[in-house]
Amino acid sequence: MDNNKKYWKGLEELDRTPEFVEKNKNEFAEPIPIEEILSGDGLSAKTPRRDFLKALGFGVGAVTLAACQRVPVHKSIPYLIKPEEVTPGVANYYSSTYEGQAILVKTREGRPIKVEGNPNDVFAKGGLSAQAQASVLDLYDVTRLKDPKLNGSDAGWSEVDAFVIKELAAIKAAGKNIRLVTSTIHSPSTLAVIADFIKQYPTAKHITYDAVSYTGIIQANQNSFGKAVLPHYNFDKADVIVSFGADFLGTWISGEEFTRQYVSNRNNKSLESKKMSRHIQFESGMSLTGTNADNRFPIKPSEEGIAIISLYNAISGTTLPGSKKLANKSVDNAITIVAKELVAAKGKALVVAGSNDVATQVLVNAINSLLGSYGTTIDLDNPSKQYAGNDAEFVEFVHELGRGEVAAALFLNVNPAYDYFKGKEFKDALSKVRLKLSFSDHDDETAQLSNVVAPNHHYLESWGDANAVEGYYTVIQPTINPVYNTRQAEHSLLVWAENPVKDYYTYVRNTWNNGLLAKGGLSGQKGWETLLQTGMINTPANTAGSYTFSRDLNAVAQTILTHSASLVAGDGKYELQVYQSQAIGDGKRANNPWLQELPDPVSKVTWDNFAAISVADIKKLKLQEGDVIRVEANGYTVDLPVLAQPGQAQGTISIAVGYGRTNAGPVGDNVGKNAYPFYSFRNGTFQTTAIASFTDTGIKSPLAQTQTHHSYEGRSVIREANFTEYKKNPATHSGNEGGHKDYNKESLWDDHDRPVYDWVMAIDLNACTGCGACVVACNAENNIPVVGKDEVRRRREMHWIRIDRYYSYQEEGKSESITEEYEIDKLSNFDRVTVVHQPMLCQHCDHAPCETVCPVLATVHSSEGLNQMAYNRCVGTRYCANNCPYKVRRFNWFNYWNDSRFDNYLNNEHTQLVLNPDVVTRFRGVMEKCSMCVQRIQAGKLKAKIDKRPLKDGEVKMACQQTCSANAIVFGNRNDPNSEVSKALKSERTYYVLEELNVQPGIGYQVKVRNVSELEA
Amino acid sequence: MRSFSLIFKQFSRSVLLIAGFAFWGFSNAYAQTDAAKGEAIFKSKCTTCHKIDQQLIGPALGPQLTEETDDKYLVQWIQNNQALIAAKNPKALAIYNKFNQAGMTVFTELSDGDVGNVLTYVRTEWKTMQAAPKAAAGTGAAAADAGPSSMVIWGLVAVIIIAFIVILVLNRVVATLERLLLKGKGVVIEDEGEGGEETVDKKKEFIKRVLKNKKLVFFILVCGTIAMGSWGWVTLWNTNVHTGYQPVQPIKYSHELHAGTMKIDCQYCHSGAYKSKNASIPSLNVCMNCHKVVKTESPEIHKIYDALGYDPKTMKYDSTQAKPIQWIRVHNLPDLAYFNHSQHVKVGGIKCQSCHGPVETMKEVYQYSPLTMKWCIQCHKRTEVNGKGNAYYDSILAAHDKIKKGEKVTAAVLGGIECGKCHY
Repeated sequence: MDNNKKYWKGLEELDRTPEFVEKNKNEFAEPIPIEEILSGDGLSAKTPRRDFLKALGFGVGAVTLAACQRVPVHKSIPYLIKPEEVTPGVANYYSSTYEGQAILVKTREGRPIKVEGNPNDVFAKGGLSAQAQASVLDLYDVTRLKDPKLNGSDAGWSEVDAFVIKELAAIKAAGKNIRLVTSTIHSPSTLAVIADFIKQYPTAKHITYDAVSYTGIIQANQNSFGKAVLPHYNFDKADVIVSFGADFLGTWISGEEFTRQYVSNRNNKSLESKKMSRHIQFESGMSLTGTNADNRFPIKPSEEGIAIISLYNAISGTTLPGSKKLANKSVDNAITIVAKELVAAKGKALVVAGSNDVATQVLVNAINSLLGSYGTTIDLDNPSKQYAGNDAEFVEFVHELGRGEVAAALFLNVNPAYDYFKGKEFKDALSKVRLKLSFSDHDDETAQLSNVVAPNHHYLESWGDANAVEGYYTVIQPTINPVYNTRQAEHSLLVWAENPVKDYYTYVRNTWNNGLLAKGGLSGQKGWETLLQTGMINTPANTAGSYTFSRDLNAVAQTILTHSASLVAGDGKYELQVYQSQAIGDGKRANNPWLQELPDPVSKVTWDNFAAISVADIKKLKLQEGDVIRVEANGYTVDLPVLAQPGQAQGTISIAVGYGRTNAGPVGDNVGKNAYPFYSFRNGTFQTTAIASFTDTGIKSPLAQTQTHHSYEGRSVIREANFTEYKKNPATHSGNEGGHKDYNKESLWDDHDRPVYDWVMAIDLNACTGCGACVVACNAENNIPVVGKDEVRRRREMHWIRIDRYYSYQEEGKSESITEEYEIDKLSNFDRVTVVHQPMLCQHCDHAPCETVCPVLATVHSSEGLNQMAYNRCVGTRYCANNCPYKVRRFNWFNYWNDSRFDNYLNNEHTQLVLNPDVVTRFRGVMEKCSMCVQRIQAGKLKAKIDKRPLKDGEVKMACQQTCSANAIVFGNRNDPNSEVSKALKSERTYYVLEELNVQPGIGYQVKVRNVSELEA
Repeated sequence: MRSFSLIFKQFSRSVLLIAGFAFWGFSNAYAQTDAAKGEAIFKSKCTTCHKIDQQLIGPALGPQLTEETDDKYLVQWIQNNQALIAAKNPKALAIYNKFNQAGMTVFTELSDGDVGNVLTYVRTEWKTMQAAPKAAAGTGAAAADAGPSSMVIWGLVAVIIIAFIVILVLNRVVATLERLLLKGKGVVIEDEGEGGEETVDKKKEFIKRVLKNKKLVFFILVCGTIAMGSWGWVTLWNTNVHTGYQPVQPIKYSHELHAGTMKIDCQYCHSGAYKSKNASIPSLNVCMNCHKVVKTESPEIHKIYDALGYDPKTMKYDSTQAKPIQWIRVHNLPDLAYFNHSQHVKVGGIKCQSCHGPVETMKEVYQYSPLTMKWCIQCHKRTEVNGKGNAYYDSILAAHDKIKKGEKVTAAVLGGIECGKCHY
């Protein structure tokens, strides 16, 4: 290999700590204690031979007796009257909407089992986030409220209605205030319902509150251009992207959409036309977006404002009053160079900032205006409606509560008792309210404080609509009858407002008949039916106007500088930054075990949040990973395990929100700690930064971190090139510079016949952002169990596809990464690391080492190039896992689907309804691994056979491929030279992981290309 | 059983013969009617509402026309029953009311001769029918009695018993000969059988002698081992194989009647077989397509009504009273095996009977095939792929031809016995 760059997954691997070395000696970290019994004084001492014989005898006897039972009688219960559209055994798909994004819901025998992206969706064109994939599981959550509650006890809907109407009438008569607090609503029908409610109760007011808010951007656009909107960004039109702490590929506004746009300038197609965008990220903690950047610079939160001012100065050629140079020289240098690049790419440049500070966002607007971004990369005329929360309004609401001015407070899809930064103040203030009503479907933190809980439907049980971006209307249709005695919130509001139309379905129909259908050129019943089939109406976009920023920036700069100065931590203190994790987000879905067990894309931690600190700081403080520290900021303290995060800015701590729920349900309760109280309210918006101090508690709490669970013993699996090299020779660093090597010249194996199909995959490392949606999609498709925190600590997670995240060094002043071992030893800081994400799953090797060692032929090769696993043949020797060079085989240590230890996750009769009936659940003691969604291949072939036509390329899609917004995964038949996958594999960038072993893997990876330039000089 | 059925068979045959002669004579004497002509008319005009042996929309004609001998009345009724009713003929009114006053179609175009022919045909046919099922039952019972496997076992047992007897006799002979020899040599042998004690001794003596006979002991041991071994082998081999499993279903639904006699296509009820992995048990609305009007009085049909919450009098459904019917699964494939009906029935064009057996003769369905993996694989190895006229297979068969010229293309050759085809 010419690529000598050293890659590592975790510090323990880099440092080769004794614990890591010990654990990686074996495929399975914890051996079965069989040696203890058999060796040394085993039989004679601990378990004497006689006891052993007794146990053996009893065991044999018991098994014999147990086997004497009669064969169980299986009942078969058909429909009484079968709905015409249902055929048992055949899936139906319904179009619906998840948080504004058009989706398709797969149902079997009337129950939704999987959510898939609608290929016509404007956001991700069929891609779907991990959270959307996991949302179907929430439908079957046994801890959802089963009945409405009145004063803490279960009640019927009529009782609740009578009580609420009486109360509201009394409040209305007394002229007291009613407040309806919701998260952002962009549904035209729901907004109309709220308007009707306010008409009926004129003292009512609608307050929009988002736990993670974008008020800063909305306010800034109001101040700059007089448009209080969240713009629609076009990352696909940007050649140079500079982001200050905006995690736009992950949690920022519309991650899936931005991923699709961003990757379109970096994927194979773009590279082949010698085009690739540049992306420079300045941030404190390592974010998913930061890991994908071409250049990433760690900066402290207090430096962010100064950096943006410097960038403005460099672009505009002026100097804002009070500007100063950054203390970090390399960042300062970088800003100057980046400014030049941005100016050179005028009209195709984009600067974004993750801050919720109005002044910062105003300055960013000014920069974008100078760069001519408005009308090209930023669209203010087709704004996004995904977030409309108003922080100041909500804070004022809490003050109103405190002053006793509110008589009724209704909470829809918000949980301020948990996620408002002054939770205690909110709780105290709420106690003064006469009617406290929550629509929560769980007995969550806010519902606990309410005297009425009117549980809302899950979205898969609801009617509705959405309008997430200007001109894009989608419909929500129910895919199952309500599982519990819940009622849609809109219905409740209609009933309480004594609206003439009480049925929400009729209401939605009326809304669409009065205008919305016409926008899509539809009308009447037929139009409605068309809508239900297509799922959306997409009206032609407005022309994006170009806007010029013309306001005075002196005051803005002053505000930013004061703010930055207030964040500078003193001696022994740290700058704290609060962020959203990719899996859990704002914490609303904390009770979802799929999401809890999804390793964080950057830290690879599951089931916990943590305090991320730079490696230098952790060494300085002589802390170990997993040491629990007490973090104190804004008068709030939490105890959290510490994590050494390469790339973290020195002197900063990052903590994720969304954890530390106390009333989420058995899965989410007490997982991690609540970080919302670290928020503060400044200049009219919530701020996510603070000054923190911390102390070591002396307690240890090992993180369930999967990063080094599957080790390659330092073999080279990642290949990476930079764009300049790529342009000279597209095959650079792929290992095939001098043509493809044939490792099969001398082979121990016979080659298999693959006469018709040869199913293979191509994964573009340059497209994969590492978001992890594929992991959850695979969980849902293949009935993969959730094992829980303790088992993950024992390295027993069951995911068939994992995303390996590799770090490598990039020392200051060097354009090439560090390659030599001795240089690594001299490195003092881990601030400048680069990251590559590599999805790893069964490679379906043609010369599979696992097949050779299986003593019972449980894993064999098919004539279609698949490595098959017959679970019922497997006797659990685990030889295959030991012999797999890719470490992709998973062993069932427990009977996860019938073991009370796993009741909280998926093992209960409701949650099991989400299982895919076309895939078996695996029993204790057998191996499993990626099957290349063989059920989908078989179903696709059968459909073609029934239609009497050949199978089309792209007809069969893998679950991971389907959900990928970046289209990083291509699957197909290699025997067909015209298939997408054959074309992709012909790319010069293609290499096969560990191909020198001549195991002939079926999955080709494409070299990661980084568009680094002379920025570092 | 067998002898009884044989006697019965012969008896019924003679009865049939006598009856046949009698009828022939009688009918000849009565009128010059033609049963063949009657059959043609019957089939074209009557079968929409009548069957000979069963009540359809109208009464079962066999018994009805045999009971009613007044042919003049019958002719009038068939030609114009409305006139008879209008004339308040008591017989006509009785039957009219019995069938909920649903009037029969008027056949004024039929001549008296035509109607006579029909009557003759129906009566003849009914007599044959009455005789036939008994005879059929007799032969059926004989044929279904013993399978080859039990024959073999019984044969084996018989051989063992005979061998045992032969040995005993031979032993006896040997003993006698020995005694005679000894006698000849002048050795006095104690007399046998004096008093109870001596008999006990004698028995002990006998057992001792038997035990001393090593050949006999060896033979018995070998036979025992073989018997136990083969029993064990067969038992273990057939563990969880439930060929012949015939559970009692909550409703006495007869496939023999529906699929056999009525010739209703399997897919009419099991509509999933063409498009899904499940052939699916029909939902009750499929039953109601016919049974809203057919056999509404049957207690078994009333089970359907009860399950649906349907009131046959008001013909209204009350979904609050509905409760699903819990059929008992006859064919249980384990969860670990994926089986798809549409692949076999629609694509492969395999007849339902290939796996499910002669369902059209089953009153109650039983499991016909063993449903073991061996059975699946055997079929996959033997069955040639049905790829004609299916464009899907064109390129596949061509590709296959390139590799293995001329070989028969079975399901197995196209990967049909690979693990991952059924186990995932």
